[in-house]
Amino acid sequence: MILPQLFLADLPSDAVLTPQLIRDACIAVKRNRANWLAQRRTQELVELIAFAAERWMQPDSGFRRIALEQGAAETGFSPATLGRGLDALFRQLTVEGLQALLMQDLGDVQRLDGFAAPAAELRQGRLAFARGPEMLVHIAAGNLPNSALFSLVLGILTRSAQFMKLPRNGNLIPRLFAHSLADLEPKLGSCLELAVWTGGHEPLEAALFHEADCVTAQGSDETLQSIAPRLRPGCRWIPHGHRLSFGFIGSDQLSSYQAPRIAHRAAADITAWNQLGCLSPHVFYVEDRGSMSAEGFAEFLAAALAERETTEPRGPLPVGVAAEIAGRRSLHELRQAHHRITREEAKTVPRGAFFEAPQAGTRVWTSPESTAWTVVFEEDPRFRTSCLNRFVYVKPCRGLEDLLRHAEVVRGQVSTLGTAVGESRLSEMVPTIAQWGITRICPIGRMQEPPVGWRHDGRPTLGDLVSWTDWETV
Amino acid sequence: MLVALSQNLEEALAERGVSFLSEHVFNAWCRRIFEAQFRNNPMVRTWALQHSVTPSEDLTWDRIPALPTEAFKENEITCIPESEQTTVFHSSGTTGQKPSRHIHGPVSLRLYEMSLRQGIVFHRGTRRFPELWSLTPPPEVAPHSSLAHMMGTLSRDPCPGPGRFWGQISPEGWEVDIEGLSTALTTLDRPILLCGTAFNFVHVLDAQPERRWVLPEGSLILETGGYKGRSRVLPRSELHWGLARTFGIPTRSVLTEYGMSEMSSPGYSIPDEPEDHALIQFPPWTRTRIVSPETGRPAAPGEVGLLQICDLANLWSAMIIQTADLARREDDGIRLIGRSPVAEPRGCSLMSSNPPAS
Repeated sequence: MILPQLFLADLPSDAVLTPQLIRDACIAVKRNRANWLAQRRTQELVELIAFAAERWMQPDSGFRRIALEQGAAETGFSPATLGRGLDALFRQLTVEGLQALLMQDLGDVQRLDGFAAPAAELRQGRLAFARGPEMLVHIAAGNLPNSALFSLVLGILTRSAQFMKLPRNGNLIPRLFAHSLADLEPKLGSCLELAVWTGGHEPLEAALFHEADCVTAQGSDETLQSIAPRLRPGCRWIPHGHRLSFGFIGSDQLSSYQAPRIAHRAAADITAWNQLGCLSPHVFYVEDRGSMSAEGFAEFLAAALAERETTEPRGPLPVGVAAEIAGRRSLHELRQAHHRITREEAKTVPRGAFFEAPQAGTRVWTSPESTAWTVVFEEDPRFRTSCLNRFVYVKPCRGLEDLLRHAEVVRGQVSTLGTAVGESRLSEMVPTIAQWGITRICPIGRMQEPPVGWRHDGRPTLGDLVSWTDWETV
Repeated sequence: MLVALSQNLEEALAERGVSFLSEHVFNAWCRRIFEAQFRNNPMVRTWALQHSVTPSEDLTWDRIPALPTEAFKENEITCIPESEQTTVFHSSGTTGQKPSRHIHGPVSLRLYEMSLRQGIVFHRGTRRFPELWSLTPPPEVAPHSSLAHMMGTLSRDPCPGPGRFWGQISPEGWEVDIEGLSTALTTLDRPILLCGTAFNFVHVLDAQPERRWVLPEGSLILETGGYKGRSRVLPRSELHWGLARTFGIPTRSVLTEYGMSEMSSPGYSIPDEPEDHALIQFPPWTRTRIVSPETGRPAAPGEVGLLQICDLANLWSAMIIQTADLARREDDGIRLIGRSPVAEPRGCSLMSSNPPAS
C-alpha cells in the first residue's frame, strides 16, 4: 500500500516548509471544515470514528499492517507491543464508549449539535450548546502514538479544523491514522493537516499559532513553557507535561496463589509501550507484612517479564539507551555485591571505612545477554524513577501512608496508581490517594489501558476543548 | 607484596613502558595485579566472583570483569590499609551527586605520578616540554582534585618547573584569574603548555571574545574536557578552533586529555583537524575494550559501545574499570562518541531524567 500525498507530513523529508505553506494549509482546513465537518451531526461522526477504529482492529487492515511492519523500525516497538498498545485505544473507540464520553464531559450527547440539557438543567429552564474551536492545533510527542490519535478523535467530535505538528521520530502512526480517516471519508481527511518538523522552528510555529483557537501540546516542561508565551491572547492552551505512575500491592493480595497472577498483570503494565508512557509504572510498592515479602514478589515479576519477552519482545534499542540501562544495572549489581560482602565478610575482612555504611539489601534480576528487562528489588523504600524500557523497581512499604510519604518527591507529577488491594480496603484508601493528588487509580494490569472517558491529568479531555453558550429560557 | 609489585611497576614505567607492548608481558602484569587486588580489595573480589572469575595461571586481561566507575562513588575501592591512606581524590561531579573517590598513600601516589609523566612523554615522543601554565587551582589549594594534582606533577617533570597556576576557588567553584593571565600572556616570551578544563577555557574565551594573543612557537594547549554545568557547552571542534584563534596557535597544537579520577593513566587525542569526537590514544600500560551495552560482550569491530580500560597503574584500586563513555575502536585509537546518562540521577530525579509524555 502506497500512501497518497494528502498531508504536508507525506512530503519527502527534505521538502522545505514555509510559514506561507502553513498559513495556506490552515486556511484550507478551515474552509473545508466550514463546508463539511461543521454541518455534521455528532451521531454520524461517532459512528465514523467507531467504524475506523474497528477497521484498525482487524488483522488484515492495510493501515494496521503498515503500522506494525514499518512502525517497528520507526518506533522501536516490536509488532506485538505496537499491536497491543494500539488495540488498547481502538477497543475503546466504540459508539457506546464515545457516547459515554460525550455524556460525561458535556452532560448530554447532543450538546455539540444544538441546545440541549440533562434533566436537572431542564427543570431550571436552561439549555446549553457546546462549540468546539474552529482551528485546533496539536503539538504531538513522539514517544507513543495513542495520545496523538485520541487528540485527533476529540477534534473530530468538536468539529474542528485540525493541524497536528508531529516530531521527526514517531510520526508514522498518527499519519496512518489520518490517512485511514481520509480513506473512509475524504471530506473528513480534508479537514485535517499533519506536518513534520523539529520542534522550536520559530517562523513555522508563529504562523501556526497565529491561526490557532486552541492548542494542545505534549512534551517536556521546557517544550511547554516555550510554547505558552507564543500563543495569541484568547487562544485556549491545553498542555500535558510529563507524568509518571507506580503501583501498590496490598499484603492481603499476596497469597502464593495470587502473587504470580499479580506479577503477570504488572508485567503487562511494564511491557505496554515498553514502559515509555506517563501511565507506565516506574516502581511497584509491596506492602511487606503478609506471607510474601517484596523481594519474593520481585522474583515472580522477573519470571513474568521473562515470559512476556518470549511473546512480546521489547525490541532493539539505540546504543546510548542500552548504555543507560547497562549503567543502571551495574550500579545495582554493585550494591547487590556489596550487600553480600557486608553480610558475609564483614567479620573476616575488617577494612574500616569500607564497611562503614552497610547498605540496604538489593537484588537484581536481568534478561540474559540483553537489556530486554530488569527487575531491581531495593529494601530502601525511597521513590526512584526508572530508566524505562522495561526496567522496574520493587520496593517494600508499610502501607499506603508510608508509600505516599516515599513518593512525596514526585507529588504533583503522578498520573496513575495501579493497585492490587482487596475491594473494601481499597475503598477506604481512595479518598487519601485522591487528596494526595494522584489523578487516576486502576487495577494493576490496566495501567496503560485508560478508558476513553479518562480525565487526562485530572482534566476532562473533551470538556476542556469546548466553549459554552447558556440559554436561560425562562 | 603489593608494595613490591607497585615499585616494580613504577620502575618498568620509568623505562617508558615499551615492554608493555608485548601481550605476554602485559598479561603477566595483569595476573599479578589482579591476584593482589582479588586478595586485598573486597569489591574487586566480589565483582570477579559474581562474574565467575578467579586468579589463575592462564588468565588474560580481557577475561577480568571491569568494575563500573559508579563503584568508586558507592564504595572505597582500594587495597590501601586505612592507616596508610594519605590522599583522596574526588571526582568533580555536578551538584548533588556523590563524587567518586580514589584513595592514595605515598607508594600509590608515586606510581600514579610516574604514570602521568611517562604517559604524556610517551604520547608526545619527547621529554622536552615547555613550561606548564594551568588554569586550574594549584594542587595545594585543591588537594582533592586529581586534575590539579596532575597539573602539579607535570609542572615539575617533564615540564621545566615551577609552572604557574591561574585558577582559584570561589563559592561558585573554580575560577580563572583572567586579568592576571591576560597580562602575563602579553609579555610572554617563551613557549608554554597551557592546560585547563573545557569550562576554564570557555570562561577565558567568553570574558574577552575579541582578545587575541600569539603564543610563542612550540606552545601547546591541553584541554581536559568537562563542563560540569559551569559554562556553555561547545562542540569540541568549535572549542579547539576558538582556542587556536584566540591563542594564535595551529589547531594541531590543541590537544584533548581524557582522564577521570577513577583512572591513573590518561589518554590524549592525536593531533587532528578539530573534530567533535576526539580520537584518543592510551599509554602502553593500558588496554581498552569496547563492550556492547546490550549484551555485555565485546562490541563488533567498528561498533559503538561502552569503553572499558585496563590500567596497570590502577594497581592500588581496581585495574579494569568500565566508564560511562560510548566509544568506537578505530585503527589509530579510541573514538569517543559521548557519555551515556549518569547511572543514578539524584534528588528529585524527575527533573533530570525527563520521563516521557503519555
